[in-house]
Amino acid sequence: MSVIIDKLFALSTKITALSVLLIVAWIFTVLFQHSMESLNAFGFDFITETKWAPNLEKFGALPAITGSVISTFLAMMLAVPIAIGVAIFLSEIAHHRLKAPVGISIELLAAIPSVVYGMWGLFYFVPIIRDMFGGLGIGMLTAGIVLAIMILPFMAAVTRDAMNTTPDILKESAYALGATKWDVVKDIVIPYAKAGIIGSLILALGRAIGETMAVTFVMGNVHKISTDLTAPATSIPVTLANEFTEADTDLYFSSLFELSLILLVISFTIISIAKFYFLRRKRSL
Amino acid sequence: MTYRQKRIAINNIVMTLSTISALIGLGFLLWILGVLVFNGIEALNIGIFINEGAPPGYGESGLKHALVGQLLIVLYATAVGVPLGVLAGTYLSEYAQDSKLAQTIRDISDIMMSAPSIVIGAFVYAIIVMPMGHFSGYAGAAALAIIMIPIILRTTDDMLQLVPSTLREAAFALGAPKYKVVIQVVYRGAKAGILTGILLGIARVAGETAPLLFTSFNDNFMNTDMSQAMASLTVTMYNYATSPYEDWQRLGWAAAFILSMFILGLNIIGRLFLLRKRGK
Amino acid sequence: MATIVNVPEEKVLHVNNFEFTYASSDTPNIKKLSMPIAKNCVTALIGPSGCGKTTLLRSFNRMHDLYPGNVYAGEVLFEGRNILNPKEDLIALRAKIGMIFQKPTAFPMSIFDNVAYGLRLQGIKNRSELNDKVEKALKDAAIWNEVSSRLKHDANGLSGGQQQRLCIARAIAVEPEILLFDEPTSALDPISTQGIEMLVSELKERVSIVIVTHNMQQAARVSDYTGFMYLGELIELGQTEELFVTPKEKLTEEYITGKFG
Repeated sequence: MSVIIDKLFALSTKITALSVLLIVAWIFTVLFQHSMESLNAFGFDFITETKWAPNLEKFGALPAITGSVISTFLAMMLAVPIAIGVAIFLSEIAHHRLKAPVGISIELLAAIPSVVYGMWGLFYFVPIIRDMFGGLGIGMLTAGIVLAIMILPFMAAVTRDAMNTTPDILKESAYALGATKWDVVKDIVIPYAKAGIIGSLILALGRAIGETMAVTFVMGNVHKISTDLTAPATSIPVTLANEFTEADTDLYFSSLFELSLILLVISFTIISIAKFYFLRRKRSL
Repeated sequence: MTYRQKRIAINNIVMTLSTISALIGLGFLLWILGVLVFNGIEALNIGIFINEGAPPGYGESGLKHALVGQLLIVLYATAVGVPLGVLAGTYLSEYAQDSKLAQTIRDISDIMMSAPSIVIGAFVYAIIVMPMGHFSGYAGAAALAIIMIPIILRTTDDMLQLVPSTLREAAFALGAPKYKVVIQVVYRGAKAGILTGILLGIARVAGETAPLLFTSFNDNFMNTDMSQAMASLTVTMYNYATSPYEDWQRLGWAAAFILSMFILGLNIIGRLFLLRKRGK
Repeated sequence: MATIVNVPEEKVLHVNNFEFTYASSDTPNIKKLSMPIAKNCVTALIGPSGCGKTTLLRSFNRMHDLYPGNVYAGEVLFEGRNILNPKEDLIALRAKIGMIFQKPTAFPMSIFDNVAYGLRLQGIKNRSELNDKVEKALKDAAIWNEVSSRLKHDANGLSGGQQQRLCIARAIAVEPEILLFDEPTSALDPISTQGIEMLVSELKERVSIVIVTHNMQQAARVSDYTGFMYLGELIELGQTEELFVTPKEKLTEEYITGKFG
């Protein structure tokens, strides 16, 4: 009897573990299948076409893809230097009484739902941008800034963790030669933890590009590529969030599924690069 | 200026810059937190918990329907996600260990933890909403469960590996079959860690909005039937905040406050569990 | 009170009534310790683990200041001033009092850049001057022959013993007054250990050395003076041969004969 239970238990753990792989494969398959109609209709033009006109049954993803890339790029430009600054502050500068509380607060802020960041952006940040630049206040610039603030806690926390992997004894050796804190950070900590830091930043990038709620409020969902960063725009997640429940034709749906697939492939690739190329060392708890 | 003075000056400049960037970052985050708490508390009243949604101008509206819907969706997601995640994590730590298969599952789970949640929503839409023909609480719960499994799996895997192998060996030496060793010894040893993982997993999915937008969708009224479209705090928050009615916007802040406090609470409790365990 | 032998040589450091308390501790971890450190000699510090010998060593270059809440009291005189003064310029102090750690600490850069690191911190940019000083330091650390053909290679490719000699080269390149060795061979094999010990004996002509070791034979082989510490106090400081052959204190005798430790 016991032997049977033992085998059953082992088997059930194995099946559940395999189901993780199965679900991921299933996600790709389903998204691909549902993209077929759009793939057949537009082919490769889907990602180079700038026109997204549901009433004409014409779907081009370039505005959404461009929007995702630009808003994420803006967010990274703003968040990376600040996150590195926060990480240096937390790992090297902060008084020991500040380190833990500030560090934990930042980790907790990373847990606040992104929809809250989006709401804050809509009610408090959009008016500021409107006053400064005119227009509606919603668009690429606002989205990039709100996205930067939303991703900042996560980015700072993982960057700090990467910096903290530098052995104390290595830092002490540099101090023992008369190095300043900045000397130690730039010559020892950053070179030593380089892979981890870059990996962490790319991981944050992977998360930012798929982020929906922080940007949906403040982007505008306008399928137009504009050189004006303060004009309303869109991104892949913003398009999905706004239009999935509105789609009324099969081709429209199929185009949205193809957008989902593109987003999944992009973020899968970015996260894989972070993970396999930079964060190969097993992270200990 | 000598070279030494220059180095010290550069050091001071950079250290000041990082401190300033920390202040900027923290300043923004405090601003958001302040806005959340201020607006949230202002909007809170007992009516929120006893009234359902009402069209603006037609009586007092509340969040009862969204609170109940949120609770049900997260509950169902947890009921599916936790056992699957824990069992799968058990397989990795106790059976497959360092095998290639286990490593692949770990890697894929890590990637899934950062993958865009709205895509999971699209997937569930295709496999549940389309065949059923309408939105449903089940679909929302399924999307959240899919997001939850890799989180629970990885923490369980990590926490079980922390249990010293001597403990397992001692149990085997008494002639216990493996399932008993795992359930009675290993799970018990890693209890606090697994619980923390579960709490953090729940906290993570409770704040998800994007995968619910087109799975559980929304409903302005009380509904406990999981096979129908169902309100959730997050989607309600989104709809109310983007509405032009001030009353609804206030409700949106109340929902944001309640949800954020719930999630922060889970995170803090989870951390305390781990701390207490480490203290032992 | 500790038994302290007369030290005829010039003193490079003078420790007077030194006390040290870690942030996590209520009572001093080093209590009222006084001892001279002789110039151009090797002074070894021995004692059971937890006796405070490494703590004392790390006080001489104020390494404890990297971590908050640690408290010094008393005096450590160097070049006529008390280096425990809070206003002491630690960057300058550490350039004059170098340190070698328990494990090799090659920086994540090339062999050449490792040795040039301290020199560059001092503002030496001239390429030929750097080349000369790096070569001299590597020769003095008896590792030049092994690395001269691959100076541009990553220092982490060297063996443990080579890395430790590289760290010594890096420390002596800036021509310090004092070198502090914190159990420098504890991570090394016997042959590498022998190499480091020979190096220590040679280096004392140019630099004063304090070495903490858990290995009494090592103290006997390399040092001129040996201090025995126990529970945060100095029990006895003597000429090395005397201390190992005819210790004056009963505790010292019990420790070196292996009755405890």
